[in-house]
Amino acid sequence: MNHTRSKFLAASAMLAAAFLLGGCETTSDTRTVDAKGPQTLNTSAINPQDWANAADQLVASLLSSGALEKAPRQPAVLAVDRVINNTALSIDTDLLIKKIRVALTQTGKVAVTNTMGLGERAVVASEAAEMDEMQTGKKAKAQKIDYTLYGKLIQQTDRANNVTQNTYTFQMSLVQVSTGLTVWEEEREIAKQTKRASVGW
Amino acid sequence: MKNHLRFIITRGGLLAALGLLFAGCATNVNTVERAQSQATPSYIADKRVITDNTLANTFRVVAINQTTVSGNLLKLQATVENLRNSTKTLNYKFEWIDKDGMAIDSPNETWKTMLFEGRETKTISTVAINPRAVDFTLKLRE
Repeated sequence: MNHTRSKFLAASAMLAAAFLLGGCETTSDTRTVDAKGPQTLNTSAINPQDWANAADQLVASLLSSGALEKAPRQPAVLAVDRVINNTALSIDTDLLIKKIRVALTQTGKVAVTNTMGLGERAVVASEAAEMDEMQTGKKAKAQKIDYTLYGKLIQQTDRANNVTQNTYTFQMSLVQVSTGLTVWEEEREIAKQTKRASVGW
Repeated sequence: MKNHLRFIITRGGLLAALGLLFAGCATNVNTVERAQSQATPSYIADKRVITDNTLANTFRVVAINQTTVSGNLLKLQATVENLRNSTKTLNYKFEWIDKDGMAIDSPNETWKTMLFEGRETKTISTVAINPRAVDFTLKLRE
């Protein structure tokens, strides 16, 4: 009799525990959001909106400066030089550079060459040149470059009370290859403040 | 007489305290500019569709003007005023349309965020990266 009662109590306890744990469980909820929309997550890092915003402002500044109007030919040949990442974030700088390349190419004022620089773009250009040489029997002649574009990403972190502020600076310069002169420069900043959550009891 | 004087002092003190309280909260912006503007902007006659009255009562698009940059690219500038006495956030997005009425997609035309101090007027601008762009839509949300 006692044995049956203890079995019943154990079963009841297990059932109650199952209900309790079941109540705590939450199902994962994933939804597709517009990557260009205001629903994207805002974190202390650089989010897709920040990249697009920085690229848009830099391109608008370059086009408004009139620097490309003074190019020796249309479209001017542009090579993307280094983009130095001096932030604490592990980021692919193509998140910025590709947007700028796409925008500048769409204007029709710039043709971007891949024959300069390191990485996958240079490999693609090298393979394309080899393919052309193989097909025509002639060594491909690289286009003369009119401008090079280089940039730098900087992060400054400031803390006061419970607030951390990360300021990301996007710097970009356009250099005329024939003269070595910087014909356009711009700097844009995005500042993000994060308040540390207080612990409640 | 004494009671009357005390009432006036108390009421005055209360009003002063209230004044200080509200002055402490205000983040309004005062501005100074040239009396006779030398600029001659090219303003655009616009058509407005309001679906959010709260937003319309918070932000006012004062004017939109345009110019051409890099030879054949349209540049737009909208002057926006925060009608409230406190800091407000505005989300905005420009979209471009070609002469056939087709939307022109751009990787950089996303929703952007801008902070306005109380009663502050700011400009938001964009450059069409495609020379085919002739028309635009400016979208606003809080």
